[in-house]
Amino acid sequence: MKGLIIRILHQMGNDKRTLALMIIAPILILSLLYLLLGEGNYTPRISVTEDFPSALLTELNKQDVNVTVLGDNTNPVTTSEAQGDSLLKDKKSDAVVNVDTDGIHIRMLVAGSSKAATITSALKNAASAVNPTSSMNFSYVYGRADSTSFNSLGFVLLGVLSFFFVFIISGISFVRERETGTLERLMATPIRRISVVGGYTAGFGILSAIQSTLIVLFSRYVLGMEFEGPVWLAIIIMILLAFTAVSIGAFVSIFANNEFQVMQFIPLIVVPQMFFSGLITIDTLPYGLGNLSYFMPVYYGCSGLEKVMIKGFGIKGVWIDLCMLLVFILVFFILNIFALKKYRKL
Amino acid sequence: MDIEISHVSKIFSKKEVLKDISLTAREGEILCLLGPSGAGKTTLIRLVTGGLRPDSGEIRIGGQKFPNRETMKRIGFMPQDDAVYSDLSGLDNLLFFGRLFGLSGRGLKQKAEDALGWVDLQKDSRKLVSRYSGGMKKRLSLAVTLLHDPSILLLDEPTVGIDPVLRKSIWDRFEDLRQTGKTIIVSTHVMDEAARCQRAALLYEGCLIENDTTSNLLLKTQSGSLEQLFFSAGKTGDAR
Repeated sequence: MKGLIIRILHQMGNDKRTLALMIIAPILILSLLYLLLGEGNYTPRISVTEDFPSALLTELNKQDVNVTVLGDNTNPVTTSEAQGDSLLKDKKSDAVVNVDTDGIHIRMLVAGSSKAATITSALKNAASAVNPTSSMNFSYVYGRADSTSFNSLGFVLLGVLSFFFVFIISGISFVRERETGTLERLMATPIRRISVVGGYTAGFGILSAIQSTLIVLFSRYVLGMEFEGPVWLAIIIMILLAFTAVSIGAFVSIFANNEFQVMQFIPLIVVPQMFFSGLITIDTLPYGLGNLSYFMPVYYGCSGLEKVMIKGFGIKGVWIDLCMLLVFILVFFILNIFALKKYRKL
Repeated sequence: MDIEISHVSKIFSKKEVLKDISLTAREGEILCLLGPSGAGKTTLIRLVTGGLRPDSGEIRIGGQKFPNRETMKRIGFMPQDDAVYSDLSGLDNLLFFGRLFGLSGRGLKQKAEDALGWVDLQKDSRKLVSRYSGGMKKRLSLAVTLLHDPSILLLDEPTVGIDPVLRKSIWDRFEDLRQTGKTIIVSTHVMDEAARCQRAALLYEGCLIENDTTSNLLLKTQSGSLEQLFFSAGKTGDAR
């Protein structure tokens, strides 16, 4: 197994371009998105308190938002801050708004999301029609008021990019091993199948660990991405996600006969997972499609990263995501050992 | 160690590629597998590497049922493709395969240097294999096969695409190894290479049509050319 690890590291050392792709490409894309990221379209749900001024409510209803009045018979919620927050956390509402003598108070879940931007502009439009001088005060359950879209979506980019590149590199090098006949030669040596899979996972795992660490540090210290929680925890989640990418890449390569066919798995394996990474709000998906996310490693990776980077959770808050990633690694590890039976039963 | 193949059949997607083959390769002999492409030579060799399992019949090596990991340590397999890593140097290739056979440290380095010497690649050992010529890759592949000093050599068309000078030197090497008591199986479709083997097995469409010492086989032909045995096999096959 050690031999395999040394070999993979040597091969990568000799193939500087692939090594550069692994590290520079994600950094390049992150930097580009940092500069480009725009806002999306979404109809936000706003909850307002019972004593909300009716003139403002009328104007707000004219905007492209769904307004619910709290405290009436159908929705008997009082408006203490804690209960307003639980409404936001349960994703029953995107914003809770009340008005007092200081002006309009808006509380949302996270800062800088596209939802937040839409809600802000809707409220501004409504308020300007009624009382242009009223002040607006924003507060957030998680995150700070100065967050940008890049910051609030950074976790998606980190997770998806690292998965994507590691998946490709591991899939292709395994296919190449079969194509050139070296796998057959490998299986004619006394090496155990578990050592082949272990060596592969560990060899590429080490490389992707380096990649993950560099990307996270670059995002944090060069691009200034916000990390409310510990940076090391984000790195650990990234490394685990990269390990799942290695295993899945190797597994998928069994069904590919050449490098090009590995590429064909990108729309099948990588792209759908992107949709469930937090890029689109999962709980608004129709037909219960959101449940598919439970079968996707990228979902756990990204939701773990979101919890650490935006909500500031520690290890206690993300242990489920960590465990699920470990489960994926283990399952594909075992599948790969069985898949190698195709080359040697012993 | 003798290799005893008894009543071995192999089926690939309903097609029987090897039909009831019984064959013995003896220590200190070169057994030559002759036959046109698609006759089942490579499949037979892969059965002896342990990469494939027979659908019926069994293989014994040194009296022990194969495959087992202990015996695999003593096998040197040279696949038809070069099967070396082109993004590693020649030396790194040898070190990698050496580690798989449990070699390490100074012993491994020494063995790798020796193997490079046999195939005359010392001065290119640190070059990437992607910059090797076809003949150099073939020689490196042979060095990988011989590296761990195996008792059994399984060589699948080792001289395809090799110039006559190199081909002769490779066969001289096989002869040296034979004299040190190795068991060698070589597949080829070049009939004159059979003359350098003690024993030849002729495969035709998955069937063993002849299996004898080379000298006996040559007596069976009028022209003194082994090819003729295939032509007569083809005729009886057509008659059926």
